[in-house]
Amino acid sequence: MNLNVLIAPDFAPEHFAGWHMLNTLMQRKTGLSLRLLTPASASEQAQLIAEDKADIIYANPFDAASMIRDAGYVALARPIDKANEMVIATRAESPVDSFRDLKPGIKVALTDNKDVKLIGLRLLEPADLTEADIDWQVVESYQAAARLAIKGEVDACFMLAEAFNSLSRLTKAQLKPLIESKLADISHVILVHPRIEGEAAKLRDSLVGLAGSADGQPVLDELGIHQGFEAMAVEDAEFMIDLMDTLLE
Amino acid sequence: MSFPPLSPAPDATQERPHRYHDGRTSTLKISQRERPYPEGRLIVSRTDLNGTITHCNEAFVEISGYTREELIGQPHCVLRHPDIPRAVYEDLWGTLQAGNKWHGYVKNLCKDGSHYWVFATAVPNRRGGQVVGYSSVRREPSRKKIAEAEARYKDMLAAEEGSQ
Repeated sequence: MNLNVLIAPDFAPEHFAGWHMLNTLMQRKTGLSLRLLTPASASEQAQLIAEDKADIIYANPFDAASMIRDAGYVALARPIDKANEMVIATRAESPVDSFRDLKPGIKVALTDNKDVKLIGLRLLEPADLTEADIDWQVVESYQAAARLAIKGEVDACFMLAEAFNSLSRLTKAQLKPLIESKLADISHVILVHPRIEGEAAKLRDSLVGLAGSADGQPVLDELGIHQGFEAMAVEDAEFMIDLMDTLLE
Repeated sequence: MSFPPLSPAPDATQERPHRYHDGRTSTLKISQRERPYPEGRLIVSRTDLNGTITHCNEAFVEISGYTREELIGQPHCVLRHPDIPRAVYEDLWGTLQAGNKWHGYVKNLCKDGSHYWVFATAVPNRRGGQVVGYSSVRREPSRKKIAEAEARYKDMLAAEEGSQ
């Protein structure tokens, strides 16, 4: 059986090799023929999903919600202790020291990542800022968002905390984090299409068994998912979706 | 219905009579001390259909002043602050029981009589087409929104007390 494995495009580029290593390892452990799909953008990912090409997907929580509730995808596993936190940062020399000092009309750079935008907007609520108060500058990469903030061309940038932490020391030194989310319960998840639910147990067991194993742990380390994956029950996924629902208008 | 005991701090010197939705009354000892909202976090709890707490996250436990063991199994109204009009809670439960999402600004009571303000969103938890409970997720509100809610609730409370 040939199956497509789609990886959401919002991972740090240094983990690119890790996803290929994981795919190869999972093929060996499950005996399934797995083809890795790594769309470069959210729109490319949406196109692949619309073409029904995602048999297995490492989905961001925003996409996972609709894939589970609307398309019947089944949650398999999620990375342990790796919630989708995000950072709002400004340039290091900015006179703004708190996100509460950001005012309507500010320019914010971010990638086309719905989760980051949604969580960022929720973080800015105490400052009385809404989506309409912000001049959004959508860029191709989080590095580009950081560059715009450093150059002062935007007042702040939004990015996943993992992406922020993966920036070079020099880049980070030129940025000032204003707030980091600590939501804890919202993470990427691995889902399978209902047509391959019969393979779900085998895939889940293989994923969960990677941590601490001689061949699995190096791959997890390469992915930055050092503690491995934990099995996700139906209720775990439903709970996360309920949480996401409360964050939507 | 029994609540875990309040443990008023020395500054909780104001005695306030409070009537719950089931008609029960008690006298709460409260202070005017506000606890700061934990920046960047969500305060999460879930209840069953009767409003009994079945889950609460770490942020909820920390700010409430109760232990997790004290909270699980208790009615959610343990958090009710006497400054919040009964009509707000009636609207919350009426909206949820109609199967809809509710949101609003709420002042919650801590174990020691202090309080914290939240913007709360509550949703019915649907499983297999059936509502099996409710989730409530709170976020940090702006000071402007809190001031507006305080003024609105003060008027509502006065109207409620006047009608008794």
